Amino acid sequence: MKRRDFFKTSIAASAALVGSSLSAGVTTQPITGRKISKVAFPEKRPMITYSDRPPLLETPRDIFTQSITPNDSFFVRWHLPDIPTYIDPDAYTIKIDGLVERELNISLKSLKHDFEQVEVTAVLQCGGNSRSAFHPIPGGIQWGSGAMGCAKWKGVRLSDILDRAGLKKDAQWIGFNGLEKAAYYETPNFVRELHLEELDDHVILAYEMNGEDLPYLNGYPLRLIIPGYYSDSWVKMMSHITVTNKYKSLFFMDEAYRVPDNATESETPQKHFKSTKPITKMNVKSVIGYPLEGAKIAYHSQLVVRGVAFDSGLGIKDVQISLDDGKTWESALLDNDAGRYAYKAFRFGFKPNKYGKLKIMAKAINRLGEEQPLAKDVLWNHGGYKYNGIDVVNVEVV
Amino acid sequence: MKKLIVMMLLSISLFAQVKEEMEVPYIAYEIKMGKGFDAVNANCLMCHSFGYIINQGPQSKLFWKKKIDKMIVHFKAPITKEDQKTVLDYLYKHYGNGELK
Ligand code: HEC
Repeated sequence: MKRRDFFKTSIAASAALVGSSLSAGVTTQPITGRKISKVAFPEKRPMITYSDRPPLLETPRDIFTQSITPNDSFFVRWHLPDIPTYIDPDAYTIKIDGLVERELNISLKSLKHDFEQVEVTAVLQCGGNSRSAFHPIPGGIQWGSGAMGCAKWKGVRLSDILDRAGLKKDAQWIGFNGLEKAAYYETPNFVRELHLEELDDHVILAYEMNGEDLPYLNGYPLRLIIPGYYSDSWVKMMSHITVTNKYKSLFFMDEAYRVPDNATESETPQKHFKSTKPITKMNVKSVIGYPLEGAKIAYHSQLVVRGVAFDSGLGIKDVQISLDDGKTWESALLDNDAGRYAYKAFRFGFKPNKYGKLKIMAKAINRLGEEQPLAKDVLWNHGGYKYNGIDVVNVEVV
Repeated sequence: MKKLIVMMLLSISLFAQVKEEMEVPYIAYEIKMGKGFDAVNANCLMCHSFGYIINQGPQSKLFWKKKIDKMIVHFKAPITKEDQKTVLDYLYKHYGNGELK
């Protein structure tokens, strides 16, 4: 079969699926192989680009052979278009106020010198990563699999900062605000609130990413890191922390980044489930970084399938590969441990011994025994959140 | 001489990686031209690029109606009744999937 035809069939198959009117939502593999833009954004190499204002950049899939995502390939996701284009690190301060004993204005320099410095390697993943897997499509950016990355973050514990400020007795909610602003004065700003109970010692305010200053587009000079959680609350260009005793009603908290509050976190496109809950902790997931969809692999060559796997921090126990459409599974090799919140890189070598199409599937399993479902068994939700289907790459052995 | 180099390296690491103003490139999105585009240009470019519209792909009329409503209700987009209708017709014509809902 010619390469052309090979791709045509898969496109036709998914088009048939999407075109028909569906009663239940249908989930497939997310879109892969989107074009990389010719234009590079500051400190980045050219990436899959959805928007320039605000910048929305996806990491190309081949990066996911590495357990650390390089800063220049790390995905970018802002909500509002008005982002400062200049930050003076010598003048930058973060303000802590509200229900605290002492209001603080901490400079970057003081953060780096007057507090204990800590590091954590953690996966940052958008809750809408892989949204293009859901049909009918939920509104929002139609990400492929690259709205995620893993980096070594360095900074200061949030709890140390809050301790220094001294929480008052009735303190309950911590609001985080960055410098990103709406273009229109009535548009709600992207403020996030977390309950004190959700914040443990692993939460840090980071100024360094993989040994460098945070890249501008990843939130320079300071961002929140909440290991194990989807990145909706990892506020960038963090400038203000407010402690309150009452939850404020905010669009980006009450409407966005929520899933149906039922056992399967799902609903039908016709009838959305009434009550919702925040997406919070990440489910178990793996993505194959090599080979890529449609690749031609030489017959009997030694092929090494590579990818990354992660969960909310319980830890990945096993990544399994299937070459026979899921009938049998074999364990891949996992790399050394960079901590429970980090990517586990996996690799699986074999010699393809049959010409023609070959379907490679990867499934991660965590310490609790939770494993990725087949894509078709990931149930639909109208925000298109939390996709974690078994990853599939189709290649051709020639 | 050696000493000097070491000192220079040290002082460099104290500087931020980026001292100058950032320039985020502009992208010219290939949005379709046609009747009603003026209203789209006037009402839908204030808070984000056309990338947001194009990336949704072909959608039903109801989908686009709900998107416009969302912009108005949640993000407070100031769009007149008349323009709402013009924008909806434009979106459905150029980014519609042929289905009403
Ligand atoms: C007052 C500001 C504002 C205006 C004007 C505006 N939008 Fe939006 N729009 C937003 C915000 C804020 C988001 C969410 C951004 C994010 O989270 O990345 C958004 C998101 C979107 C999305 C992505 C899907 C989604 O549900 O998030 C689409 C599509 C969209 N807008 C279309 C439009 C169209 C069409 C118009 C013109 C009728 C328009 N917008 C005008 C503020 C606005």
